[in-house]
Amino acid sequence: MSWLLHRIDDRLIHGQVLIAWGGRLSPVRIWLADDAVAASDWERQLYVDSAPGIDVRVVGVGAAAAAWGDEAAAAGGAFLLVRDLATALRLVEGGARVEAFNVGGLHYAPGRTRLNDYVYLGDADRAAARSLLARGVRLDAQDVPASRAQSLAVLEPTLVP
Amino acid sequence: MSGEPAAPGGRPAPTGTPVPAVLVMHGELGAALLHAAASVYGEFGDVQVVSNEGLEREAIEARIAEAVAHWRNGGLVLTDFWGGSCHTCALAASRGHGDVRLVTGVNLPMLLDYLHNRGAYGVDELAERMQQKGRDNIRTQRSPAA
Repeated sequence: MSWLLHRIDDRLIHGQVLIAWGGRLSPVRIWLADDAVAASDWERQLYVDSAPGIDVRVVGVGAAAAAWGDEAAAAGGAFLLVRDLATALRLVEGGARVEAFNVGGLHYAPGRTRLNDYVYLGDADRAAARSLLARGVRLDAQDVPASRAQSLAVLEPTLVP
Repeated sequence: MSGEPAAPGGRPAPTGTPVPAVLVMHGELGAALLHAAASVYGEFGDVQVVSNEGLEREAIEARIAEAVAHWRNGGLVLTDFWGGSCHTCALAASRGHGDVRLVTGVNLPMLLDYLHNRGAYGVDELAERMQQKGRDNIRTQRSPAA
């Protein structure tokens, strides 16, 4: 199994991913599954350039779900990043057999309420979280490896079906 | 002799309006760097700071874009490390502003060099100078024998 980390983080590739998790787990590939970024030449290039020495693959969510099984069997370690819970759900619905998502950063925006310092959820986030938990996918809030992982189901028990 | 017009003290003569800058950094680092720079250089105003703390990407980009929008002839976005959200959001927010340069890995010697020279050089020359200054100041040394 090449997958080292499946992460939900609205900053996508950034310092916590490259330095904290990357330093700990040493991925050779990062899959960034995002339809908007994949459709934009300059944004795709921005993320490819952001991680020197790592093979960054920016793909749409459908393509990421389709590639998930082959990647799992590939050599070397890999991260997968999505920007929100709804995208994580689409990935799972598309056939990616993800056991757990690391919830690394869903920052404050109007309409979202706080679960902890780096996880704020709105109505659409909660609906997607419920669907993922109902499918048996774990959702563990943990921004960096040095902090304690906490299940979203514990932080907000009403998410549990 | 060619190159910059020399002023007394060896520094080129001011060319006009100082090149503006915004520090985009993690946590309190930008504010702390400005504070430390003021203790060495003396008080100065007009260098802006954006922290990424607690912000999603769009909010970081909006704050950087607001700073950059006021620049009439370009300027410098100074960030901490390559690949961080400060850096990639600065790239996104300055897209289309051909006269904006990004500098990553900014340390105190680089910031001081900027303050000393922001009225003497253009945006591109200043960015190149800062890169060199940063590299020159990173050294390692064994402690002297007792």
